Amino acid sequence: MASDVTVIGRGTRIRGRVSGAVDLEVHGHIDGEIAVSGDVTIDAEGLVGANVSGRRVVVRGAVKGDLTGEDAVVLEEGARVLGDVRAPRVSIAVGALVRGYVQTGGVEAAPTRARSTASAARPATRTAATAKAAPAPAAKAAPAPVAKAAPAPAVKHVQAASRATPFSLAGGAGGTSSHADAKRGPPPPVVPSLKKGAKGALNKKKAH
Amino acid sequence: MASTVIGAGITIEGEITSDDDVVVHGTVRGKLTAKESVTIEQGAVIEADVAGGTLIVAGSITGNITSSDRVDLQTGAKVVGNVKAARITIADGAQFKGNVDMDV
Repeated sequence: MASDVTVIGRGTRIRGRVSGAVDLEVHGHIDGEIAVSGDVTIDAEGLVGANVSGRRVVVRGAVKGDLTGEDAVVLEEGARVLGDVRAPRVSIAVGALVRGYVQTGGVEAAPTRARSTASAARPATRTAATAKAAPAPAAKAAPAPVAKAAPAPAVKHVQAASRATPFSLAGGAGGTSSHADAKRGPPPPVVPSLKKGAKGALNKKKAH
Repeated sequence: MASTVIGAGITIEGEITSDDDVVVHGTVRGKLTAKESVTIEQGAVIEADVAGGTLIVAGSITGNITSSDRVDLQTGAKVVGNVKAARITIADGAQFKGNVDMDV
């Protein structure tokens, strides 16, 4: 029956959400989420600018968004996908373009986002911890942060050390101990570890 | 055959713009604009303003209708809203509640 399949024609543009329980064929342009429990076919002229989920998702056109197939995702020749692909079975044909995370097998809760945020968060917390912990053993461990290429704690330490002992920052001794420290500790952070306003706060503290 | 068909089990929430014919069996909320004819089949539910060329309505529309050509409300149609078109026919058995504007 004709009404069982939904066709979005070539000259048609939809801005919004498409949902339902039947098959969907896209020849036109959809700017919005597609969530159907039937099959989704995005034809060669089809263009979808959001996430697509269906039982079996077949792509010959362009998609900018995540593809989730309950059963399978089939990327045929000419498909251009910018986003993650998840399905128990994923097939990518010669001539299909994908840029994103692809996961076959059982569809689980999005692991990419979680992992990337975790890895991004970790160095920051660690540098914060070292910066906070460092001032306590001031005189002894002073040169270590210098080797870690972190300009902020270094400044802090010079000041702390100069307060403790008038002028005891020996470069050589500091170098050896810092090597040992570097071997034990984590690699130096890529991003500068000086927190926003940290320098200003230090100056303020010094003034008082 | 019409180039765009919204099937019976489909719900679209948002704006539909088309240069071609549109046939709706499903549900549309938002706005529906077509350059050519729009057919709202029996069982279709439209909660949107509809604009197009020839409009053939056998389903339910809640919203204003604007047509550059004509509007046909067929038996079983249910329309709540204002209709603006050069020509309008309302078949026996069609339900209609709203203003009609036939200014050309």
